[in-house]
Amino acid sequence: MRKSKSMSALIFLAVGIFLLIASNFVDELRVYQGAQVAVYVIAISSIILLTGFSGQISLGHGALMAIGGYAAALSYIHWHVPFLASFIIGSFSAAVAGFILGLAAARLSGPYLAGTTLALAVGLPSLANQFHVLGGEQGLSFDIGEAPMWIAHKTGGDFTQYKWFFWISTICAITTIWFIKNLLQSRYGRTWKAVRGNPSAAALSGINIGQSKVLAFTLSSALAGLSGALLAMLLGLVAPMAFTLTLSFTIVTGAVLAGVTNLTGSIVGALVLVVIPELTDAVATHLGGSEKISANLPGLITSALLILTVLFAPNGPQLHKRKKVGNPS
Amino acid sequence: MLVRRSTKRGVFAVAIAAVSALAVSALPAQAFSPHSEIGVTSSTIKLGITVPLTGSAAPGYNKVPYAMKAYFDYVNDNGGVNGRKIQLVIKDDAYSPILAKSVTNDLILKDKVFALVGTLGTANNEATTKFINDKGVPRLFVNTGFSGFANTKKYPTTYPLFPSYFMEAKAIGGYLADKFAGKKVALLYQDDDFGIDALAGFAQVGTTFVAKIPYASGSQADPTVIGKWVTSIAASGADTVVLFGVSTATAAALGGAYKAGLAGKIQWILGSVGADPTTIKTLAPTALPLLNGAITASFLPSASDSADEYVKQFQSINVTYGKGATFDNNVLVGMNGAMLTVQALRAAGTKLTRAGLMAAIESQGSKFASAGFAPLGWSKTSHVGYNGYWFGRMAADTTVTPVDGAGKYVLYTTDSSSGPIVKSAIARPAMPAKGLPTN
Repeated sequence: MRKSKSMSALIFLAVGIFLLIASNFVDELRVYQGAQVAVYVIAISSIILLTGFSGQISLGHGALMAIGGYAAALSYIHWHVPFLASFIIGSFSAAVAGFILGLAAARLSGPYLAGTTLALAVGLPSLANQFHVLGGEQGLSFDIGEAPMWIAHKTGGDFTQYKWFFWISTICAITTIWFIKNLLQSRYGRTWKAVRGNPSAAALSGINIGQSKVLAFTLSSALAGLSGALLAMLLGLVAPMAFTLTLSFTIVTGAVLAGVTNLTGSIVGALVLVVIPELTDAVATHLGGSEKISANLPGLITSALLILTVLFAPNGPQLHKRKKVGNPS
Repeated sequence: MLVRRSTKRGVFAVAIAAVSALAVSALPAQAFSPHSEIGVTSSTIKLGITVPLTGSAAPGYNKVPYAMKAYFDYVNDNGGVNGRKIQLVIKDDAYSPILAKSVTNDLILKDKVFALVGTLGTANNEATTKFINDKGVPRLFVNTGFSGFANTKKYPTTYPLFPSYFMEAKAIGGYLADKFAGKKVALLYQDDDFGIDALAGFAQVGTTFVAKIPYASGSQADPTVIGKWVTSIAASGADTVVLFGVSTATAAALGGAYKAGLAGKIQWILGSVGADPTTIKTLAPTALPLLNGAITASFLPSASDSADEYVKQFQSINVTYGKGATFDNNVLVGMNGAMLTVQALRAAGTKLTRAGLMAAIESQGSKFASAGFAPLGWSKTSHVGYNGYWFGRMAADTTVTPVDGAGKYVLYTTDSSSGPIVKSAIARPAMPAKGLPTN
């Protein structure tokens, strides 16, 4: 067991190093998109942890991402903490909010929980317009600066800020997946699966269902907060428009496309979310379509994919394929 | 187990294939370009613009990029710029700084534009500044009057065209003191750097308001918000109201005031950004009676003044290339910015470089022909464009004529600091023949 854990850690390390090296050989646009994928991977993983393994629904993770983004930016701007500390503060703040929300969520289920979290996603970002310290619609600037000189020197000079963002996001994403993967194999993971599978049986086995759900909500929120802080870093600012209802739906869509119980699928889900606008833009440009078409087509295609996934592979394409070949595990 | 492994491999294969596809598609453009500068080939110059084509601020402003494109098409059909045709890549930012950041990334990294022109919105331009500075991309003739953009250290590649909101507020403040002394004045303003710049200008000339009503950008789409504005205006007892927001906010405020029975009870003064009569007429037709007699501040001639040689020429181009767009302030702004862009590109010579373009504006920009009544101030030490406004009065048919009478434009010039407001004579270069620069 210990050996396999070390092996898995080594694989994660190798993938991480490969991606960081690969960033030297691709266009800066792809580096930026790679960072976007990494941010989505964390956000989708937070949904997978919550929905796929603990059986709770959230349509408001965009709001928790907003809390993470704003907390990181505010602590960086006003307390002048190092940017890594600001990410931790962002993540912790979202965890606290998630804990409070989780207390309510533990008493709710199905559409009631979906409705509660949805209301949060609608209402929370607009708070920025009520308090001047949050910068209103214009938002707050969040510029973490360039990579340290020693990294730029070691990697051969042209180390752009986007490459630095890619490094940070990728390391965070890989660490997140590794963390969740291990967590799911632990006592907590087994507890969540038991609660998701049959709450009554789990309760009879001595599992504190409420506690288990609150813990899952808190951890999921912490990850959403981290992805929000990273998103703010990528954008260079935090503003209500960065955390719209569309974002909440987008990450849920990514999770469904990935398969809500499939952690590695979060990479595919995140890639799909980034690749689709790219492809539709290329097609619209090629066909001489208007700017409005290329702006709206990705949403249409993603929605269609979502409907098709729900209709034909409700557990995600990967599990659907497994089921077809006779191994649903 | 075997199946599980092969499925996992499948997932990774899909991921790697997608990443590889993205990476490979990133390679071409630059490697095969015969010209060394990004966005320039022997036959084309690629420019980019971000504007709200959708969302709460889109009405009116969504005409600006197409007016620019119409003018560029006209120039292209007449030989282009030193033999190169201008391509304009238009991106929708929905008036959101976040989206502006995203589409500017695309313009610079994916579309690989040579320069940005006419990018619209104070907050939007601020949001993209860091990246633009890092890449050294010239940002010409931005469609915003935030005074901060003239700071050459903070915005080294940005060239504002509009007189600043600070200057505009000073000019309006001075006009209020002169013509509306003793009146109770209220102010509605956009609560971001756009409006804050204006507040500083009003404070500079000591204008006092019986009510200052801020609004969050985008909130003008909410009827309850508009109701609060009107209630605040009525409660303040104001008899004169300055509207310092975007066109959709002006239309919303006038529409709300009409419903509340304030028609004929208030003298409206419209800031230049939100004073396009065509847009207001379209958005709030009921507000038309309120526009009769409204005072507007402008730096370009009235779009309805066909006697003006610039307006006349642009109207003519719009007929052929404007695809049926009604000629208004937005079309005038777009074409004027496009004509200045053509002159800047011509001044930069045949060996186009980003640095050369900026140097050309700094050395020759003050002599460029443009519709604006105030002189252009670009130099090696200043990025300030126009510096003055004139005041007009709107008629029932929404045409605007100078307050002193048709054709009698009086210019008030000032700075974005404590300088005086000076009544200045109008002096501008003549419109180039057929509207085609020859500099």
